[in-house]
Amino acid sequence: MRVEVDSSKCQGHNRCMIFAPDVFEVDDYGFATVRADGEIPPEQIEAVKHAVVNCPELAIIVRED
Amino acid sequence: MNERPVRDFDFHGAALDTIFDTYKELRENCPVGWSDHYGGFWFLAKNEDIFNAEQDWATFSVAPSMLLPAFGTDEPMIPIDIDPPVHSAYRKLLLPLFTPRAVDDLTPFVEQTARDLADEVGKSDIADIGLGYARPLPSIIFCTLVGYPQEDWYLFDEWVDRIIYGRDVNPAESEKAGNEVREYLWALVEKRRQEPPKDDITGRLITAVIDGRPITDEEILNYAYLLFVAGLDTTAWAIRSSLWYLARNPEDQERLRRDPELISSAVEEFLRTLSPVQAMARTATKDVEVGGCPIKQGDRVVLAFGSGNRDEEAYANPDEIVIDREQNRHFAFGVGIHRCLGSNLGRREVIVAVRELLDRLPPFEAVNLDEPWHGVGPLTVRFKREA
Ligand code: HEM
Ligand code: SF4
Repeated sequence: MRVEVDSSKCQGHNRCMIFAPDVFEVDDYGFATVRADGEIPPEQIEAVKHAVVNCPELAIIVRED
Repeated sequence: MNERPVRDFDFHGAALDTIFDTYKELRENCPVGWSDHYGGFWFLAKNEDIFNAEQDWATFSVAPSMLLPAFGTDEPMIPIDIDPPVHSAYRKLLLPLFTPRAVDDLTPFVEQTARDLADEVGKSDIADIGLGYARPLPSIIFCTLVGYPQEDWYLFDEWVDRIIYGRDVNPAESEKAGNEVREYLWALVEKRRQEPPKDDITGRLITAVIDGRPITDEEILNYAYLLFVAGLDTTAWAIRSSLWYLARNPEDQERLRRDPELISSAVEEFLRTLSPVQAMARTATKDVEVGGCPIKQGDRVVLAFGSGNRDEEAYANPDEIVIDREQNRHFAFGVGIHRCLGSNLGRREVIVAVRELLDRLPPFEAVNLDEPWHGVGPLTVRFKREA
């Protein structure tokens, strides 16, 4: 499973980083990106799902491939 | 369709007493409608309509103001009353001071302030933790953050009462207080210009460059003024409404005492259900139809965040306060390009306030059951000490 942040939607509210700090990081302005290559380690899947349903802008995309 | 379903809908003052029932009725029977209050406005009560309007900033402009009625000034407040493209330059100026990392740095001070205030209100068996705790905390933090003398915090609270809570009954008084604040803020800006530079909010404002030109004096003032009206009573209200709930729900209070890890999701839930900002306004830039209703260019449109936050289509058991709710995307801080700049700070202050009060003081219960859930007024509680 892979995760990415749609930078055209992200408004930098940092909810993702609160729920899954090992997966997301934010720049100096608070905008989010995914660490490493976006592949979600199995132990982070729950945390990422949490981030997805709590992102105010629906900016986090998870793909099953 | 050319209908304009009319409802006597208001979202300030006493209307808040029963507003959750009002929302329910609106969502069921009149999710988009017209109210004659405040010069007349459309309201959107559904979660999805609010979200879509917030994303479509080109159609739903924030000019002349997001506030309805006005907040003691006719000047556009920055960045809240500014549309793109200029909006993002203003926002970027201060964003770095509101990231989670920046808020982490400030947290020890928030904690210490909360502890001192908690110890003070805990000295008597019956205390007003609205006025003695919920209100001073954000004001003291705010003074430090913006670089004002800390001992001035109580002045800010008095101004907030006149500007925000007086505006629907006495607009002239609200405007007078607005001018007093602007004079106060301006004196501080002038003073800071004489002092060595410092990287705080005021420091960033006075040295700002917007689209390649230096910021003007009016812009500095309109930004500083907005921070003052946006950051104080909102946070105080959120702290008070969280404690209001806990004072009336001993099982949940006990659960948070046993398991403080739950405090952050509980606060999220209080923000969703008892939020300080029940609605914000926009203005339609062109004719547009929402939910079959003909909104005309120039019409005011109120986004009823508080109703969207309790929409059956967005949440299971929306009117129930579930302190460990896991899926909680809400509009307490709005959404889209204008979503609250101070959300990380506001949220942190509420979490720390709840945690420190529970940690330092014995179980408390509401004494005056007439005190409403909303506002920043008194919250009288009795501490139940072991005999
Ligand atoms: C729990 C406390 C708070 C709540 C519930 C809250 C809520 C809100 C809401 C609903 C908006 C409008 C968003 C929209 O229309 O989409 C807003 C905007 C804003 N808030 Fe807050 N706020 C809080 C605390 C703060 C604090 C502490 C500050 C800063 C010191 C702050 C600064 C701002 C600013 C600058 C904006 C305008 C953002 C823009 O237009 O781009 N807020 N807030
Ligand atoms: S929660 Fe969503 S909007 Fe906020 S920083 Fe993360 S991706 Fe961006």
